[in-house]
Amino acid sequence: MRVLAIVPAYNEEGNIDQVVKSIRRAQPEIDIVVVNDGSSDGTSRLARRAGATVLDLPVNLGIGGAVQTGYKYAEVHGYDVAVQIDGDGQHDPRDVTRLLEVLARGEADMVIGSRFVTDTGYQPPLDRKVGMKIFSFLISKIIRQPIRDTTSGYRAVNRRVIGLFAREYPTDYPEVEVLVLLHRYGFRIKEVPVTMAYRQSGSSSITLWRSIYYVAKVLLAILVMLTRPRTGSVFHEF
Amino acid sequence: MSFNVYLLSILFSGVFLIITLGLVRKKHLKEQYSLMWILVAALMFLVSLNPSVVETAARWLDVKYAPSMLFLFGLVFAFVLTLHLTVVVSRLSEKVVHLTQEVALLRHEVYRHDPGNREGSASGEQPAI
Repeated sequence: MRVLAIVPAYNEEGNIDQVVKSIRRAQPEIDIVVVNDGSSDGTSRLARRAGATVLDLPVNLGIGGAVQTGYKYAEVHGYDVAVQIDGDGQHDPRDVTRLLEVLARGEADMVIGSRFVTDTGYQPPLDRKVGMKIFSFLISKIIRQPIRDTTSGYRAVNRRVIGLFAREYPTDYPEVEVLVLLHRYGFRIKEVPVTMAYRQSGSSSITLWRSIYYVAKVLLAILVMLTRPRTGSVFHEF
Repeated sequence: MSFNVYLLSILFSGVFLIITLGLVRKKHLKEQYSLMWILVAALMFLVSLNPSVVETAARWLDVKYAPSMLFLFGLVFAFVLTLHLTVVVSRLSEKVVHLTQEVALLRHEVYRHDPGNREGSASGEQPAI
């Protein structure tokens, strides 16, 4: 089973070296591709020096566009599994083993590393907590399956999902939308518990106003997605 | 008094047409879009030359105050045009995303076959192609 770790990174020079090295230490057999999302700092150089393959996006695309680049790479190079790990050091790469086990047993097409399946002590700030509750309630209703951590960026997918993501992946805030997308294509999703740390350096891109925009935008995207034919991407014709 | 207004709007239409053609000449405006603006300029020109066109049209449509009809059409035109442009921008940004991703993947291939260049890419500099 060839596994690729996709690490999106935007101005993460304070974390990226540690992130890449800890993945190599915990999971020596998997390949690492860092997608440098047009960083203006030394992210790319440090990631390369730490031993990762680096894809340099010439302009900043945001998390969705960056992660999709990783999926395109995974598809072109024929990986069986791709696992997304954030570039800010919040995800413990030792948990990858648990995610991969579920895929290897064929129990799901995507596995989410979830902070809330068991109590891991993770306490998000209030505004994010509210958003997370809304998403969790709504998504669980739509896909008729409880998903507790809909915004976790810690996920592993199999080959068929890699193929889908290489073609179609939401921009902006993709994590929640992806769940509905996969459900509509008939893929199976499963959550496993992981521990998550707070970010080690730099700052999160999410502020209060952005949280509000985040919730509104994702709700709209989900509604639209539900009315869209299965193969339909609005922008497919070119 | 009214002579001045009409003269002014004839002048305006003429200048508008010249500016449009100038933009096309300098390739700041695609022919595709310029056709529409040339049409707009021509319409303004016709209306300025013969203001009774507006009065006649207003009577047909049962509009009491003829100039308000101009505002209505102008506003609807502006809305439709803006909507159309945001669609164009959405399409363009989608294209930019895919092109950027392709560039990153291809760059990686180039550097893989020419490792001497690697540091150049690592510091985020543009490859010298």
